[in-house]
Amino acid sequence: MNKRITGGVAALALAALGFAMTPASAAVKTIDESACGSAGAFCVGLVTDVGKVDDKSFNQSSWEGAKAAAAKAGGFSKYIETLDPKDYASNIDLFAAKKYNVIVTVGFLMADATAAAAVKYPAIKFIGVDQFNGSPAANYSGLIFNEDKSGFIVGYLAGYLTKSGKTAAIAGGPDTIPPVRKFIEGFANGVAYAAKEQKKKFAKTSTVYYSGANAFNDPAWGATTAKQYLSQGYDVIFAAGGKTGNGGLAAIAKKKGAFCIGVDTDQWGTVPEAQPCLVTSAMKNLAAGTASLVAQAKDGSFKGGNFVGTVAAAPYHALASKVPAAVQKKVTAVTAKVVAGTIPTGVKQ
Amino acid sequence: MKKLLSFKWLLTLLLVVITGYFYSKDGVITSSVVSTALIFGLPLALAAMVGIMCERTGIVNIGIEGTLLFSAFVGFFTASATDSDFYGVVAAVIAGTASGVLLAFMSISWKMDQIIAGTIINILATGLTSFLYKQGHTAPTTSEIDIPWLSKIPFFGQVLFMHGPIVYIGLVLIFVLYVALFHTSWGLRSRAVGEHPGSADTAGVSVFKLRYLNVSIAGAVGGLAGAYLSLELVGSWDRGFTAGKGFTALALMIFGRWNPMGALAAAMFFGLTQAVTNQLMFSQIVKIPDQFVNMLPYILTIVVLAISAGKVRPPAAEGQQYEKEQA
Repeated sequence: MNKRITGGVAALALAALGFAMTPASAAVKTIDESACGSAGAFCVGLVTDVGKVDDKSFNQSSWEGAKAAAAKAGGFSKYIETLDPKDYASNIDLFAAKKYNVIVTVGFLMADATAAAAVKYPAIKFIGVDQFNGSPAANYSGLIFNEDKSGFIVGYLAGYLTKSGKTAAIAGGPDTIPPVRKFIEGFANGVAYAAKEQKKKFAKTSTVYYSGANAFNDPAWGATTAKQYLSQGYDVIFAAGGKTGNGGLAAIAKKKGAFCIGVDTDQWGTVPEAQPCLVTSAMKNLAAGTASLVAQAKDGSFKGGNFVGTVAAAPYHALASKVPAAVQKKVTAVTAKVVAGTIPTGVKQ
Repeated sequence: MKKLLSFKWLLTLLLVVITGYFYSKDGVITSSVVSTALIFGLPLALAAMVGIMCERTGIVNIGIEGTLLFSAFVGFFTASATDSDFYGVVAAVIAGTASGVLLAFMSISWKMDQIIAGTIINILATGLTSFLYKQGHTAPTTSEIDIPWLSKIPFFGQVLFMHGPIVYIGLVLIFVLYVALFHTSWGLRSRAVGEHPGSADTAGVSVFKLRYLNVSIAGAVGGLAGAYLSLELVGSWDRGFTAGKGFTALALMIFGRWNPMGALAAAMFFGLTQAVTNQLMFSQIVKIPDQFVNMLPYILTIVVLAISAGKVRPPAAEGQQYEKEQA
C-alpha cells in the first residue's frame, strides 16, 4: 500500500456526478482532481518523504507552501505520504498519470527518483525540495538552502548562551545526507566563531548522528540521547532531524537551565512541549521557497536548475528575556553577514 | 548448562571491571553512560515482560508494539486533557489492559490464530492513533524523583536513584514478576498452563481463566511501558512513536529465555551498547562511519546471543489453542 486513500473513491464518484450535470468548461478554479489536465486547470501534487505530512517540520512546511501557492493560483493540491522508499517513483507516477501540472517531491533522498521522473514526464514541472539538481532538465528545479548558514547563526547564538562551554548537536539522520551534515557542521563552526570572539576556549561541539531505518522517526532515541548529553553538563543542544530531533527537544525542555534549538521551521509553534527550552530554530524558509517555485510554474517563469531559498534564525519568543540584549544585537549583525556571505561558514558544500 | 552459566558470569564480571576502569578515568561520563543504558533498556525490558507473561501461559503476543503505541497515545492525551500526569499514567495502564483483554478475547475465546490476533492489535493501534492524533497538545510529565540519601551515593546514585517514578515502579515490577512466576503457586500454574494445559486442567487449574488473567496483566505492564515512553522519557507523542520497540522486545524476551531476569539483563545489555555507541560518537576519539557505529548495538547483541544462547526452548503449548475435550 503506497498511498493513503483520503476518501478518494467518494471524491471521484462525486466528481463524476458533478461532471455529468454541468457541462465541462475551462474553469479558472480547479476544485478537484478529475479536472487536472484540462485546459486552465492547475494541479499541484506533493509526495512526502518517508514520514508524515504533519511531521511538524519538513514535509509539513513544504506542503503548506505548495497548498497556499496552489490555492492562490486557483488550483488544486493534494499529497501522498510515502511509506517506503521503494515507492518514491510509483507515488510520483500516481500524480503524473492524473496529469498534474506540478509535482513537488520532498527530501534529499527523493532526488534520483525526481530526476528520473522529470525525464519521463517532460510536460510536468518538478520541484525537488532539499534536492540539489545536477540535471539539465528544464522542467526540474531543486529547492536548496544554505543549511550551513542557518546552522552557523544558531551556533553563534549557542556560543553566547552556553555557560559550561559544552554544546552539542543531535542529528536524526546520517552525515551522508548533505543538508543534515551542513546544519550540524555549520552549528559547530558558529559556536567556535562565537568562542573566538569572546576569547574563550570551548570544547569542540559534540555531535551525534543517528542512521538506520528509523533515523528521523525515533523520538525516544532523541530523548534518551539528549538526556545523556544533559547529564554530562552540555547546556545548549541543537536537535535536528524530524521526530527524532523533536523527541530530543521535548526531553531537554524538562531540564532547568538548558537551552535547545530546533530545526527547519520555527518549532515554537510546532513542538509546543519544547517551549521551556526552545530559544530559536535554524530555519529554512521551506514554505516560502516551495510557494515561489509553484508560483513560477504557474506564471511561466519556471526554470530548471536550482533555486536557493532563504534561511534565518527563528524568533526567541518568550525566551527573549534570557538572551541579553547585547547578544541579540550581535546575532542580528552576524546573521546579516552570514547570509550575505561576508562571514564564511567554513562548511564544505 | 554449566557452560552457559560460566559465560554469563564471565560477561558480567567483564562489564563490571570495564565499568570500574572507566569510572576511575572519568566518573561523570561513566555514570552518565550506565544511567543512559537503564533509560534505553527499561522500556524494552518492560515490553519484554509483556511477551513473557503471555507466552509463559501459552499465548503468543506479537501485538506488543501496538499496545505500547496505543497506551502511550492514550496516556499522553489523557494527561493533556486532565492536566495531570498521574491520570495519564493510569489511563495508559487501562488502555494497555484493554489491548490485553482484546488479545485474550481474540485468541482464547474466539480461538483465532494468535499471530493474526497480535497483528490485528498492531494495525488497529497504528490506524486508530494516527486517525485520532491532533498535534499541538502538551501534557504534564512525570518529574524526576531523587531518592533522598541513596541518590547521593557516587555512581549508583545517578544510575539507579535519580529517575522518574515509572523507572522505579518498572524495576520493582520486574523483580515482582520474577518472584511471582517462579516462586508462587500462581506462577507454577501459569507455567503449567503454558507447557501442558491438559495436565493443568486435570489438576483443577482453569486454563481459560488463568490465560485471560495473565494476558490482561501483561497488557497493563505494556501500558506502563507506553506511559513511560510518552509521559516520562519524551514528554510528547507522535505518529509511529514507538519505532519498533515492541518487536525488539520480543527478541530480548527470547534472548532472556522467557525469564524476567534474563530479559531485564538482555535489555540492559542492549541499552548499554546503545549508550556506549552514543558516547563513541560524542567523544569523537575514533572516527568510525556513523552508520557502522549505529549498527553496533545490534551486532553486539547478536554476537552475545550466539555465544550464550545454547538451547533455547519456548513454552511447549505456545501458540496452540486449548480445547478441553481434546486434551
